Amino acid sequence: MGEKIFFNLIQLLVVMVFSPLIKGIIDRLKEMVQSKRGPSILQPYRDIWKLFHKDEVVSEQSSWIFRFTPYVCFTAPMFVSLLIPVLTDYPLFFAFMADMLGGGFVLALAGFFATLAAVDTGNPYGPMGASRTRMVGFLAEPVFMIVFFTVSFVAGSTIPYIVQKVWITPLANFFEPSHVLVMLAFLMLILAENGRIPVDNPSGHFELAMIDESKGLECSGRAAALMKWGGCMKFFVLLCIFLNVLVTPWGLASSGSVWEVLLAVPLILFKMILFIVVLVMIESSLAKLRLYRITEFMGAAFITCVAALLLQLLEIQG
Amino acid sequence: MALFVILLIPLLVAGLSMIPTKNAKVSARATILGAATVFVLSLFLALGTAPGKQVGVPAFTSWFSTDGLSLLVLLLVSFVGFTASLFSLGYVGRTVPENHQDRIRRYYRRFNLFLLSMLAVPLLSQIAMVWIAVELTTLLSVFLVGFENTPESLEAAWKYVVLTCMGAALALMGVLILYWGLFISGGGEFTWSLLKTASPKIPPVFLTTAFILFLVGFGTKAGLVPLHTWLPDAHSQAPSPICALLSGVETTTALYVILRFLPMVSGSPESALSTWLLVFGLISVGVSAFLLIQVKDYKRLFAYSTIEHMGIILVAAGLSSGTGYAGAVYLILAHALTKSFCFFSAGATLLVTKTREISSVRGLIRLSPVTGSSLMIGGLAIAGAPPFAVFLGEFSIIRAGLAQGQYGVIGALAFFIGIAFCGIMYQVNRMVFGKVSNPGEQLPLPMSCAATLIVAAVPVLLLGLFVPDSLYDLLRLAALSLGR
Amino acid sequence: MTQFNALMGGLFILTAFGIVGLRQILGSLRLFVAQSLLLAASAFILGATHASVHLFVVAGIVLVVKAFFIPWLLYRVLSHELHAKREIEQALDVTTSLLLAAGLTVIAYFLVNPLLIAASDPFIRINLPVGMAGVLLGAYAVAVRREALPQLLGILTMENGAFFAGISIASDLPLLTELAAAFDVLIIAVVVGLLTRRIHKQVGTTLVGVMARLKEE
Repeated sequence: MGEKIFFNLIQLLVVMVFSPLIKGIIDRLKEMVQSKRGPSILQPYRDIWKLFHKDEVVSEQSSWIFRFTPYVCFTAPMFVSLLIPVLTDYPLFFAFMADMLGGGFVLALAGFFATLAAVDTGNPYGPMGASRTRMVGFLAEPVFMIVFFTVSFVAGSTIPYIVQKVWITPLANFFEPSHVLVMLAFLMLILAENGRIPVDNPSGHFELAMIDESKGLECSGRAAALMKWGGCMKFFVLLCIFLNVLVTPWGLASSGSVWEVLLAVPLILFKMILFIVVLVMIESSLAKLRLYRITEFMGAAFITCVAALLLQLLEIQG
Repeated sequence: MALFVILLIPLLVAGLSMIPTKNAKVSARATILGAATVFVLSLFLALGTAPGKQVGVPAFTSWFSTDGLSLLVLLLVSFVGFTASLFSLGYVGRTVPENHQDRIRRYYRRFNLFLLSMLAVPLLSQIAMVWIAVELTTLLSVFLVGFENTPESLEAAWKYVVLTCMGAALALMGVLILYWGLFISGGGEFTWSLLKTASPKIPPVFLTTAFILFLVGFGTKAGLVPLHTWLPDAHSQAPSPICALLSGVETTTALYVILRFLPMVSGSPESALSTWLLVFGLISVGVSAFLLIQVKDYKRLFAYSTIEHMGIILVAAGLSSGTGYAGAVYLILAHALTKSFCFFSAGATLLVTKTREISSVRGLIRLSPVTGSSLMIGGLAIAGAPPFAVFLGEFSIIRAGLAQGQYGVIGALAFFIGIAFCGIMYQVNRMVFGKVSNPGEQLPLPMSCAATLIVAAVPVLLLGLFVPDSLYDLLRLAALSLGR
Repeated sequence: MTQFNALMGGLFILTAFGIVGLRQILGSLRLFVAQSLLLAASAFILGATHASVHLFVVAGIVLVVKAFFIPWLLYRVLSHELHAKREIEQALDVTTSLLLAAGLTVIAYFLVNPLLIAASDPFIRINLPVGMAGVLLGAYAVAVRREALPQLLGILTMENGAFFAGISIASDLPLLTELAAAFDVLIIAVVVGLLTRRIHKQVGTTLVGVMARLKEE
């Protein structure tokens, strides 16, 4: 029991420590694909360190929401990281606190506060970006729901640990259409929720076209550091759910020994790097969609889920 | 053996038409000769059949066989094919410019292939092959519909091919489901005759689903509302002899396949399925009657009349009584002959007045007596005036319906037929009589066109008054093969 | 093995959705190739499970005719038009189209449900609804799309759907029929392709959905 709490804390530490590294790797890889040199992979650490040592400038017209939001955006992914399988494939101490649906809601809470904070300061670019973020968000909600429903049809539960077991026990289950199609839909969700191409350009500086980046525009100093770090952690957490539950549910520690758990850390990093290669390939070969075409993109994700659900229903009846 | 020859001749003539001779007259004459031979052969086959005997090719009975209804359709296809080829000689010669002989050759090649596919439909007995033959009737006539290469005719050809292929794909699902039903209940050859005997064992849900898919799928090709939108366009934009073939017999072959389904379902609780037929038929008759009133192009007028008659035949089949089937079969015969005659006269009108619009044609009877009188006869006949054959057919259907007690259905049917009658007669009267609007320079009607009009008029005029015995036997056989 | 076949079915429906909603015309053609490959794969799996050479031959025919020959032919006949085009608008906007298409898939399932009661074979339970959905989605694609090639691909999708259902429920139709049906689909592609080229030459566009000169007015 004490062990489980200990492993949970290790899990949390892993998420906090390694998420900026993942961001650094993505940035570097994208630049390398474009034949440039790119920043060092440790650059996000340096950025966060630098930002913590700077002064904060806060607008006088803003309210407590603006001051409170960076903390929310920082702690929400930490919450979710307690619930999901990062290192182990058996449930840890806090695992039953909320299921994937609850995790999704917690992340949505952070997004909600970020939107409010962007509107709070009175900067014209803030609400523009915030409204676009909300549009992508509300289009992504039905997809989230249907993904979870399909998954719960299959596994009989929405706790990630239990769901993960269903895909690996008979290996043939891996190829079930409800699995493959849900994977596809979740991939499109990750692209939308994290503001990657084709939904948004994460390295763009043009405020009129920003969707996700706009939430951090007004923050400075410690608030900016927390928002940045929180963004990295959110990405890490979503990738964990994607990889550890859906795509590659192997390589997690199955017994209680500390060494196995520590061994799982480089394994999860390795899986993430593989996925990042795929992600960079997708990003480098597509162009950013026009704003109203994003509805078509999310519509396609929704349809994929619906097809998965239907096929699962067909198989259940049989 | 004769069946093979019937199918082989158009194929040969098609190949013959490809030979680049200096003058395309060779292919035209070869086509006429081939069509005449086919007609004579099928006449022998059809009228020489003893009741109940099935004509077949011994070793290939599961692929080729015929019975009453298919012999009737075969006879009609070959007759209209013959008259159409005769009409084409003058029509194509007049409408295609002299230096485009290869266009004329292409026309005859496609004509022969089209005729071949239509001849194959009643002769084949494997249902999957029948589906393929019906698809081929569409595909081989697409470029005939678009022959004139104007944007309108190409649009008509596009809608034709897309809508009918959609229907065919639906019908394919129906065929596959039917096969599955047969397979479940014991299997056997997938032929019409076997299905008739095996159908009591097939679970009803299979028959119902397959029937609905057949009705919607092949109904698209037969021009049933609401899938009829391609019909007025395609049947008016094609060259007139092709229109005669399309309206007269191609829709009939599609309807033949639907009607062939009836014996399979007559045993089971038939009320639901015959209700479908009645409803679809009535809707087709009603919609086409109302749409007919506002046409501006006389060929579209006749095309809508085709939809109307297909609806009437379906209603007759839906009555599911012996007299109903007899009426349906008679109307199939009457409609094919009369409609092709109407389109021949429409083609002659087009040649004489060079316009498609009703409002531009006046006093046709003075411009060209032959054309005017044939248009008058055709209009009267197809609208359902006595003493023509179509009137007799409609009357017997109405009588059969009244005997069955379907007063509502028959009342609506009579009402719609009345509207269509008025619509057609009004337009035809305006065209035939009256002052000649702009005389201009007229070339006389080509000899072959005039000859065709006279040849085709004979059955139209006579059949209403007198049906020869052998033909009567054939009709009886056909009606019998529709029932159980 | 049933899961693998079900995966083929799921991806099949996905390609049908793509043909309804994808804007790039060349992309739709590639989706059609993928769809035919999935059909061949499903026939292959069914043949392996039921140990029927017949189905292997059908898989081979589908592979050669539908996945290779027809796309190659269409590409050659229409390459001049294809490279210039990306469909700008449809009859409905794409998102609504996709949602209606999802509804159609559900309807297809309900249509074949009474038939499925009689079936116990797990392959039929997947292939028949997926095939019926393919037929309905193809018909929907023809109705909604305005360009010539996507309409043709809609028709070919319908035929693919019928085949997908057919390989499970009517797996021992005489081989001659299967060959003739495949040949027939080839002729459809040729005829419509040539007609599209002619329309492009005469009318100047392949936007056939807006050709509406023949009306009563």
